[in-house]
Amino acid sequence: MDMELIQQIRDKARNLLEEGTVEGVIGYERASDGLTARPFFAYEPAAAERLIFDETCIHDLVKYLLDKKGKKMAIVVKPCDSRAINLLLNEEQIKRDKVFIIGVSCPGVVETSWNRRSETLQARCRTCQLSKPLVYDFLVGREVARQAEEETYSDITEAKAIANKEEFWLEQFGRCIRCYACRQVCPGCYCPVCFAERLEPLWVGIRIAPEENRVWQTMRTFHLAGRCIGCNECERVCPVDIPLSLLNRKLEKDVKELFAFQAGLDPEESPPFATFKKDEKLEFGA
Amino acid sequence: MNLLASKDDLIRWLDSLLQERIVIAPVRVQEQTMFQPISKVEEIAFDFDNTTLSPKGWFLPPTEALFTVQRDDGQVNLVPALVERDAVVFGLHPCDARGIALMDSSFLQEPSDALYRERRSRTALIGLACRQALPECFCTSMGSAPDDPSHMDILLTEVKDGYIVQVVTEKGKALVPKGLAKYKGKVPTPPKLQAIPTMEVTSAMRGLFNDPYWERLADRCLHCNVCAYVCPTCYCFDVRDYSDKGKVERVRSWESCQSPGFSLTAGGYAPRTTKGERLRQRFSHKFLYFPERFRDVACVGCGRCVKACPVNIDIREVISDLQQLTEVKSGS
Repeated sequence: MDMELIQQIRDKARNLLEEGTVEGVIGYERASDGLTARPFFAYEPAAAERLIFDETCIHDLVKYLLDKKGKKMAIVVKPCDSRAINLLLNEEQIKRDKVFIIGVSCPGVVETSWNRRSETLQARCRTCQLSKPLVYDFLVGREVARQAEEETYSDITEAKAIANKEEFWLEQFGRCIRCYACRQVCPGCYCPVCFAERLEPLWVGIRIAPEENRVWQTMRTFHLAGRCIGCNECERVCPVDIPLSLLNRKLEKDVKELFAFQAGLDPEESPPFATFKKDEKLEFGA
Repeated sequence: MNLLASKDDLIRWLDSLLQERIVIAPVRVQEQTMFQPISKVEEIAFDFDNTTLSPKGWFLPPTEALFTVQRDDGQVNLVPALVERDAVVFGLHPCDARGIALMDSSFLQEPSDALYRERRSRTALIGLACRQALPECFCTSMGSAPDDPSHMDILLTEVKDGYIVQVVTEKGKALVPKGLAKYKGKVPTPPKLQAIPTMEVTSAMRGLFNDPYWERLADRCLHCNVCAYVCPTCYCFDVRDYSDKGKVERVRSWESCQSPGFSLTAGGYAPRTTKGERLRQRFSHKFLYFPERFRDVACVGCGRCVKACPVNIDIREVISDLQQLTEVKSGS
């Protein structure tokens, strides 16, 4: 653990709370296993001492800002998480002046689950190009030049080779228990009433069964086309290990190729499906 | 009296059960172990720590049809769903058997739930004593134990030469194959578990209903349904009618008090609108409402929610927080 970095976060958090600049600080603390991290909300200056940061701080905390609308909050943000900030700024879900961003230069995070942490970097970290958050008010940590691997989407190429995709995905979705952890953790999923819970119009029923699960998962994926910022939180929280990154990354790849767009890089640029250009080519089914 | 079944005996036994009944057993699915109906004994994962989901899904499936209503020649007929075959749940741990017993308290009280009752009476539980305690296990603090035979029909304990067969009920007795030798050896000592203090959790819950603790705890809660769905005692469900060309099917599916829509009523009123109120409901049901009605707390200490929660809401920590807050409040 980089104690210097942690001290910088704690000092800043304490100052912000003492000065009353923010009502609370959203960061990380040690989890109950003593090994991994969990989200933590500090409201009193003394609570800042519980904040930590290390390679187990895998959660994208930005989603929590949506619960605190109207309150000025500080938040610890990794480079990848800063894309979620940009997404929500672009979609006018958060106000910039209501957020104090403690940006962290991050060397990458590892795979963790309760009482378990791996030694290897997450796949998304290996190709991450960002040495510091895209947006911040205060930067902690040493900015190191990243030796990012080239993004080749080899997982997508492999998935493309699956002989019977229909069967493969029905089997994957067959395991889904519709717990909605993927939706709840996703910074891009914030509809006041999710289509999965709408009765009029009725998009999908309540059956926890392969066909309806497929409707649920497919619609959610498409709703995130060009909006998914690649935090991969959905896959991490899935209790039955559905490889959701294959779906999200396939769409990320397509949107990148078709529209030269990646979500969350620029708060001024809207996702392709949220914009309409009169002179846009419409070659449906071509 | 204990019997001994060699591994081969057990496999033959399970194979013969499979000829007559549905057998639900732990099966490896990718990185996970799940209870599933098997088609051959080789599918069973004998070597597993714990299953991702509890076996409650056999008795209260994630989704099931309760009945169908059909119109035939001007006649309207209601056809209830039926349980057609006997079954065995094999390989469940003592905590899970206790979970089923706790579900019984609710589902078998009159008027009982017909489908649950049928499945329950036609299913035998052949359990496995735990060989080891996992870091998230706390069954001994919740009225169970790694070698607890209660609520099982038969309990098996793995030993060097096979499995000790402990027949617990008459239902179990009828299933044991003939010709098994008596077991005269020692019964292995069960693994030791870390105990958590559970004193007065119900009264602590009652005293802290309006405490700001719940909103604070809910800050990091995602309000997904993972904890409820992996839990062996959470049994809430939603019901909806599916209609298709003159046929209506009434379906129930798992649902949880964590969803915003769970307590939404017709007309738009929702009694639990904040995240804190919803999270409090989960713990209130387990530690206050359930024991008030049925004596026991509705937690068996299987640790699944501890392991599965994406943001580490640890039920053991909640219990200890409640106790500490109560102490502070009472000034002791």
